[in-house]
Order: sequence, then C-alpha cells, then structure tokens
Amino acid sequence: MTIVHANQSNSIERPLLDLIVFDQVDKMAVSIIAANLQAVAGLNTNILPSRESPDNAFVPVRGQFDATLIIKKLAGLDDGAPFKLGIIAHDLCSPILSFVYGESQLGGKAALVSLHRLFDDDPEIYYQRAAKISLHEVGHLLGLGHCWEHFCIMHFSSNIEALDSLSISFCPACEYEINRCLTSITVGGDE
Amino acid sequence: MSLATQIMVVDDEEAIREALEAWFIKDGYRVDKAESGFEALERMTTQHCDVYFVDIKMPGMDGMELLAKLKEKQPDADVIMITAHGSIQTAVEAMKLGACDYLCKPFDPDQLSLLMERVMASKALREENLVLKEQLMERRESLWEGFIAQSDAMHQVFSIIEDVAPTPTPVHITGETGVGKELIAEAIHMQSQQSEGPFIAINCGALSETLLESELFGHERGAFTGAVKARRGRLEMANKGTLFLDEIGEISPKMQVSLLRVLEEKTFQRLGGSESISTDFRLLSATHRNLPQLIKEDQFRDDFFYRINVITLEVPPLRERLEDVPALADHFFDLYVQETGKRLEGFTQRALGMLMAYAWPGNVRELRNVIERAVVIARGKIIGAEELTFLDSSSKDCRLGTLTLHEVEISHIRAVLDACNWNVSRTAKQLNIDRSTLNRKIKRFHIEQ
Repeated sequence: MTIVHANQSNSIERPLLDLIVFDQVDKMAVSIIAANLQAVAGLNTNILPSRESPDNAFVPVRGQFDATLIIKKLAGLDDGAPFKLGIIAHDLCSPILSFVYGESQLGGKAALVSLHRLFDDDPEIYYQRAAKISLHEVGHLLGLGHCWEHFCIMHFSSNIEALDSLSISFCPACEYEINRCLTSITVGGDE
Repeated sequence: MSLATQIMVVDDEEAIREALEAWFIKDGYRVDKAESGFEALERMTTQHCDVYFVDIKMPGMDGMELLAKLKEKQPDADVIMITAHGSIQTAVEAMKLGACDYLCKPFDPDQLSLLMERVMASKALREENLVLKEQLMERRESLWEGFIAQSDAMHQVFSIIEDVAPTPTPVHITGETGVGKELIAEAIHMQSQQSEGPFIAINCGALSETLLESELFGHERGAFTGAVKARRGRLEMANKGTLFLDEIGEISPKMQVSLLRVLEEKTFQRLGGSESISTDFRLLSATHRNLPQLIKEDQFRDDFFYRINVITLEVPPLRERLEDVPALADHFFDLYVQETGKRLEGFTQRALGMLMAYAWPGNVRELRNVIERAVVIARGKIIGAEELTFLDSSSKDCRLGTLTLHEVEISHIRAVLDACNWNVSRTAKQLNIDRSTLNRKIKRFHIEQ
C-alpha cells in the first residue's frame, strides 16, 4: 500500500518546514534530514542559509546550549514555513536534563536537533541517527506524543542504543495522525 | 504509562516547571504546576495528583516541609525530590519523610525515564494489591454464604472452624468422599491469619510417589530426565499461606518421614538441590480413610499422625443431615439453571421426597451430579420423579445395610401407600397407626404419590 501524504497531494507544494542550520553543520547530514522529512513525514522542507547560534543560549557552566531558549527564538520567527526545525552541531541541554538529542514544542511551531552526540565512525549510522532524531522531534511538532510501538520513530529513546534500534518510519497510528495534521494544515492553507 | 496519571511539578523556577511539563506531556501524563509549596497545597485541594516533583530549595515553604505536608494529606502520593545541590543527608531525610526518590539536577534522560517507569510500576502494583485485597474480602464474606447448611451437625462444624481457623494449629479434616473437605479447608484458610497468603492444595492420592515428591519439593534443573528447568514445589509456594494435603492417607511412610522433617524444621531442599529453602505454612490435611486403623496396620506413622492431627474436624455425611438436602438441591438447581439457561421453576414434592429418602453414598458431590443431570434432562418446567428415576432404582440398592431407621421408615410408608393405592385410611390400618399420625408423617417426610 502506498501512503500518499496529504502534502503530496497538494498541487501547490509550498514548504511546510524551514530547516534552520546553526553555525557549521555537516551539509550532507542536513540534506539527508530534509530528504527524510519529505519522504517519511511528507513535509516539504526548505533549507535556509546557516546562521550563528544565539549567544544568550550558551550556558557556560555546562558548556552547552540551552535548547529551550533556542526553540523560543525559532518559534518567534514569523516569516517562512509554519514549522521550524533547527539543526545545531553543539551539545544541547535543558534546565532539567544534562543533555538532549533534540527538543520540540508539542503541537507547536519549533523544534531543535543536535548532531553532537550522534556521531559514529560509520557515516551511514550517523546520518540515520540524524534523520531519526529529526523525524521524532518533528513528530512532536505535529502533535504526536511518545509511542509505545517499539519500532515506531516516536518511541522514546533515552540513549543512543535505543535510538539505533528504531526504524525510520512511523507506526500506522502515528502515520494516520500525521496525515490528519497535514491535511488540516494544507486545507487551511488553501483556504 | 497511564493516561490518567496526574503529575504536579513544584518549583520556584519557571524554566524548570516548563521543562518538566514539556517532558511529561509527551508521554501522555497530565501536568499541573505550582511555583511554591503553598500553591501546591492549595491546588491539591481541587486537583488530585498521583506523582509530585518537588524542588527542595524554595523560598517560603521549602521542599522538605512540603513533602511532610503532602504525605500527611495524601499518604499514597509518590513524591520525588529534586535539587541542584544534593547531599546524602538530605536524601536520607527525604526518604525518611516518605519521598520515593531523589534526583539531582540536571539529570540524564535515562534517569528520569527509568524513574517514572519505576514509579508507575510501583503504583500499578499497589493498585492491583488494593483490588486483590478487596476481592479477597468479598470472597471471604461470600464464602460462608456458599456453605448451604441448616443442620445442627454442620453448624457445629462451622463453630469449630471459627475457633480453630485463626490459630496456626494443623487441622485434620475427616469425612467420606464428597462431603466437601476441600471447601472446609478453604473456609479455614479464609478465616486464618494466612488468608492473605496462598492456598496451595494437592491431592496426594492422585499422584504416584515420584510425582508427588516432585510436586511437593520441586526440583532443580537436571534433577531427573525431563527436568529441563528448575521448578518450585508446593511446599515453597505455600510459604506464608496454607498447605492443604488432601487424601493424606495415601502417602507412603517414606514420604511421611520427609514431610515430618519439613513440618518440624520448616526447611527443605528441592530434588537434586543442596540449598536449604525455608518455608512457613499452616498445614491442613484431609482423608476419607481411617488413619488410626492404618497406624495399627503399619501403613501410617504415628509420629506423623500426631503432627498433622492436632485438631480433628469431622464432616458428617449427607445422610446424617438430610435436612440440608432441600437447600443444597435448591442451590445446585439455581446454579445449573443459570448455566444451562433452561427455564425451570423447581422440584415437585415427590422429587424432593426422593432426594430426602436417598442415602447419598457420594454425599454432596453426588447430589450436585444428580441435580445437574436432572436439570439437563428435564423436559417440563418442574423437576419431577421422572427426572430422578435413576435415583429411585439405585435407592433400592443403597437401602441394603446402609439406611438409617428414619430412611427405613420413609421407605416402608411409601411402599405401603403404593400397595394400598394411596388410600390413607387403609395404609394407616396396615401400619397400625392412626390416620392423623400417618398424615403428619407424609407431610414431614415430603412423601408424594
């Protein structure tokens, strides 16, 4: 069965997500993320030019960037696509967690992914991890919570081994929810 | 994860409250937030929360004070303390006040995830425990209702059960097959101090000695051919509960020695094992055999007998309490009518009379079987004599040498009534009693044409 994403049926293929790259990030990783967002989540993605990481988001005592602050900044960008996904090479933290692979607003506008802890000697594994984290955080943007299906990309991964065990796909229930969300966005956009 | 689980985050820092909320809502929890201990206490009057995350260092009411107040108002709440500056002393103090865990900010995603899994698993176990306890209470209350008995003989049995059940004393239950010895054992267990523990029953007569030994003691992997993995035995499973050894008269003297050692030392080893396993259970036993006679015949050890037979509870056979038959018959009638869905209304007087006149060598089990059969084959709405004809023919056999004087009287009166074509005057004359006496007997014994 071929699943036709709502966005793909839209004759006007406007980007629904802006990929915002902070500082120097592996360009191949960014392209792969964009391709997977399009192919798996059905989100037409626009890769924006690289920009500097916000200084006020750096937490000196932890040597990391505060994901929450950067996301707030991304959510404040009114122009462009309705959804924003930031990609950053630096390590991220949150006020309560020592690190995060990514962070997002559930059903909101902005998400952020760090490639810092995803690196592997095998580039294929590295790029797969980048794609998975991005799809997971974008899934939250589209309103999905964590999924109990162990193979689904929305299943929570607290460590890299768990992340590697996920497939790069949504389970049927999450897939349905994504389609529903995208349909409402594209229909609303057309109107 | 329970979608109904409500979490409250209590922290004076907004960033912490929002970060925890953002984390938990992705897992489907409902999250409430409070920026102070005072606000938390106020919120809990209107919003029930299952889990609390409480920052230790807060202005005004600190986390430890809030913890104490939370546990006072809601003892079953799971409270996790969070702090940026942890110390062992504070952690210990928090646990003593009832916190279920203690986290130092910032924590690893793994830590938080595992913590919530543990908390939810513990909560689920506690809830399951509560439900099971309630079911146990209901079952305990309904167990006595399951005992259908109006006879003085059974009321005496119930009275003994009420006396002995709360004690740890071994009870030996005697009685013919089918009187309900296991039901009695269950009733003792439900009224005992071990009622919240397991009730483990084993029919010693149904297994060969080898199998019985394995069932009772368990075995280690490789103890014998086919023992592919270790297995707990009934002695181990009965720990903190009751062990009921049915048909204990069937076990070999060798097994009696092994069991005697377990009863005295409260330890044993699995077959093929060397590790001593402790077990503490209340022993109930039952048999239809005459153990004192078996002792005389050297088939039963007297030391084992005295160990199991501190209290003897004799369950009378059904024929000695025929006044229980109508109520028992009604009970089984209701049971099988419901099971079969047949629209039956009851018994005829004649049918009841036949049930009352029968000797019931198989006791209550036989009565149950008879009623089930009668319900199944019943064609009309009432169970009459025609549904119990097999009983009538076997009754004649059961009369030989097994009937009481009472049964003989009923049978003879019926026989003479049949012979006199149910002419009461002629029957009374034949029996050499007056007519009113005969009428009284016919009514009392439910003798029907």
